[in-house]
Amino acid sequence: MQMGFYFDQTRCTGCYACVVACKDWHDVPAGPASWRRVATIEQGEFPDLFVAFFTSSCYHCAQPACVVACPTGAIMKKNEDGVVMVDQAKCLGKDQCDLCLQACTYKSPQFGAEPNAKMQMCTLCPDRLQEGKKPICVAGCPMRALDAGPMEEIEALYGDVREAEGFVYSTDLKPSIVFKPKVKPGPVGSSK
Amino acid sequence: MASGEKAYYIGTDMNCGGACLLKVYVRDGVITRMETDDGEEPQLRNCLRCRAYRQRVYAPDRLLYPMKRVGERGEGKFERISWDEALETVASEYKRVKETYGPAAVVYLTNGGDMGQVHNTRTIVRVFSLAGGCTLMWGIASNEGWMFACQATYGYPAGVDHRDVINSKLAILWGQNPAVIIDGCGSSFALAKAKEAGTKFIVVDPRYTDTAALVADRWIPIRPATDTAALIAMAYVIITEDLHDKRFLDTYTFGFDRFQGYVLGEEDGVPKTPAWAEGITSIPAQTIAELAREYATTKPAALLPSKAPGRTAYGEQFHRAAFTLAAMTGNIGIHGGSPGCEITQRGTTPLPMGSAMKTGGNPVDAGSPRRRDALPTAISKGPGLVARLHNSEVMDAILKGKAGGYHSDYKMVYTANVNYLNQYPNVNKAVRALQSLEFIAIQEQFITSTAKFADILLPTCTFFERSDAVWGAGPHLAYQRKVIEPLGESRSHLDICMALAKKLGIDNYNDKPEEEWLEQIMAPAVTDYERFKETGVEKFYSEPSVPFKNEIADPANYPFPTPSGKIEIYSQQIAAIETPLLPAIPKYIEPWESVNDPLAEKYPLQLITTHFKRRAHTQFDNIPWLRELELQAVKLNPQDAEPRGIKGGDLVRVFNDRGEIVIPAEVTQRIIPGVVDVPQGAWYDPDERGVDRGGCANVLTKDKRSPGGAMPSNSGLVQVEKA
Repeated sequence: MQMGFYFDQTRCTGCYACVVACKDWHDVPAGPASWRRVATIEQGEFPDLFVAFFTSSCYHCAQPACVVACPTGAIMKKNEDGVVMVDQAKCLGKDQCDLCLQACTYKSPQFGAEPNAKMQMCTLCPDRLQEGKKPICVAGCPMRALDAGPMEEIEALYGDVREAEGFVYSTDLKPSIVFKPKVKPGPVGSSK
Repeated sequence: MASGEKAYYIGTDMNCGGACLLKVYVRDGVITRMETDDGEEPQLRNCLRCRAYRQRVYAPDRLLYPMKRVGERGEGKFERISWDEALETVASEYKRVKETYGPAAVVYLTNGGDMGQVHNTRTIVRVFSLAGGCTLMWGIASNEGWMFACQATYGYPAGVDHRDVINSKLAILWGQNPAVIIDGCGSSFALAKAKEAGTKFIVVDPRYTDTAALVADRWIPIRPATDTAALIAMAYVIITEDLHDKRFLDTYTFGFDRFQGYVLGEEDGVPKTPAWAEGITSIPAQTIAELAREYATTKPAALLPSKAPGRTAYGEQFHRAAFTLAAMTGNIGIHGGSPGCEITQRGTTPLPMGSAMKTGGNPVDAGSPRRRDALPTAISKGPGLVARLHNSEVMDAILKGKAGGYHSDYKMVYTANVNYLNQYPNVNKAVRALQSLEFIAIQEQFITSTAKFADILLPTCTFFERSDAVWGAGPHLAYQRKVIEPLGESRSHLDICMALAKKLGIDNYNDKPEEEWLEQIMAPAVTDYERFKETGVEKFYSEPSVPFKNEIADPANYPFPTPSGKIEIYSQQIAAIETPLLPAIPKYIEPWESVNDPLAEKYPLQLITTHFKRRAHTQFDNIPWLRELELQAVKLNPQDAEPRGIKGGDLVRVFNDRGEIVIPAEVTQRIIPGVVDVPQGAWYDPDERGVDRGGCANVLTKDKRSPGGAMPSNSGLVQVEKA
């Protein structure tokens, strides 16, 4: 079984509720480590613009490059749900090694500001999944733009679109996420 | 759930635009983490601000003990003192000032930091009322222009239920940005669902907002403070192409003919054509005509203007014009329509909005005549009194007093629930005013930019540290359960006020603890009070409400509460007060500090001061989880940045005759050229030269009220240069 995400990009307002809810739930301090992030995509010239948002986390890839890249075996992929997780005790720390970060197309591995920070990233909230709850980012999204679950169920519910604005599907890594992408319409500005 | 951990639902509301539901986990008296509403839909999901509230409660810079000033005023140097000494000082200073200068010399400044039924601003007003009185304010920063327009036109204010937008074929968001301002819990979600169901969205705004990114089928950029001209030119198109709903106008409105005369140019020889408006608004005439036709021929259509375009010089005219267009197209009182008011989370609860505590009748108000320019039938009498100070003019009044024509001299200021210096216009003048006072007491959670000027600081707790109940104008009531003890020696508003009242020798201030108050207020409104406390919320969802439904469905029995009983396009109330620049029909009046102002030679860029995602006004500006998300920057178009040699990230000076801020530039296509946006709420942080390094927008805004009371924070000129 492979757990993964769905993201409805047409609904995202870039509000950061997912980012902050995650930091609070997992007690991640302010600083460079953010298990969930939001990017703003701006294209076009005034007044013909296209703006979309993209929220990213670890996608718990079916073929995670970080697992292969890690020299100490600190990153592993769980058999039962396909979640990629890190054993910080085995991580060499950022001052020694950032091979996982280099290997990851999506730059999901995160490091805090402390010296020789150990890698940290989205865990898919195992405590919450165990209680039958959705991950904190999903449960907190004011726009109901996120979902998570077994990919079979997610694809049955939402289809299998694998690309969105700001995201390119890697056939090598096979990230566990499907989308409702924001489609660029014709120009929306007033000049037309 | 971790062992020993308990979860509680508590309602939230802090003048943030929402009223939502947090689920708070507590272990050993400490908040450990948070979830949001996980109950029945529609859930009241919190935005990022509340999700970060744990850091606010436990912020290392929380004000936890009473303090007295030890350095120069404004320097921010304080020393811890006892509550007894703090309250004794405040009480004796109040008495001294009242006896020396009269009670009006004491000014109470407040806003919406706490929106509870018990721990709100009235708690303090009652103390001063019973102690002899104080000077209060009028002129709500957010929406006074809109309130004025509603009262003149409809007789009372209204908002559009966000759940009803799905019934609109066309929705025109005019300056409204619920993705950031929230505008009622769930408003962005409601708009997204409307779009998915086929509603077409047009966004008229100087900025391509996050809400525009969410829903806009078309963005029409407009120059700030010119919105009224665009609306009036739309009226011109609708009238001249005979697209107006004459039956609706005949049945429900008063004075349309006079407005028509003005629009067609019969009154002043200037027909208000789209070409006329193009020169003012910078919207192409063709676009204005298209917008007018589309709005007039699509039904139902919702014109949804926010209060921001009304926060301009003569901003009342914007709202009056929007209401007039809504009437001309017959979109009032129907599902999917709009009376030209903003969306919010509307509904009805069995509880009237208000407060538990009576203010007790402020003697300064009681002895005051009415302002000549106050609307005769205004719902609330207070704002119409001469003794009240308009929020735009408080600092001028403090500096000038009676000699400047004000009602009193002003010697003492007490603030609660507000970072006043920061959030009202012309900060540098405000600094001079605060320096001139004899005494300043401030009730706060943090040593904010205003609190730095205190002589006495009184630490107040957060809503996690006392109980209350909130109604954020949505169809739900929420319980705010005290989940932890107040941190340090901080106290609730009610506790502070009770102790202060005692020091002032008032023995009839309050005999009810907060829980008794709450039960008294809330129990009649909720079916099961104990369950309400458990679930934290009582929802009263029904069909989406439609403002003015009764008045339109049954005009004979439900007249509008205006002199004519109709929608007054020509306002008899406004006519009666005969105030210059306050016409009885909506008109475009050239705002001060427009691009045509001679001042524009020196300061060619128009300033807007918008809401910011990671703050609720000034609240949360110091919270690390939020601070890291977005930079306080001045946003400007490449067309303005390039000639100035400014690149994104460059430190720039934004300045005019009133002051200067230095912050990074954010160069973006998402703003109309000629306009710069400094998001309001960043804490004023002057350097040794008095240049604000915090990026407080009000360093640049003008302290002058619009004739109808609007606070014109979006009418101002600045220049931007590389620092």
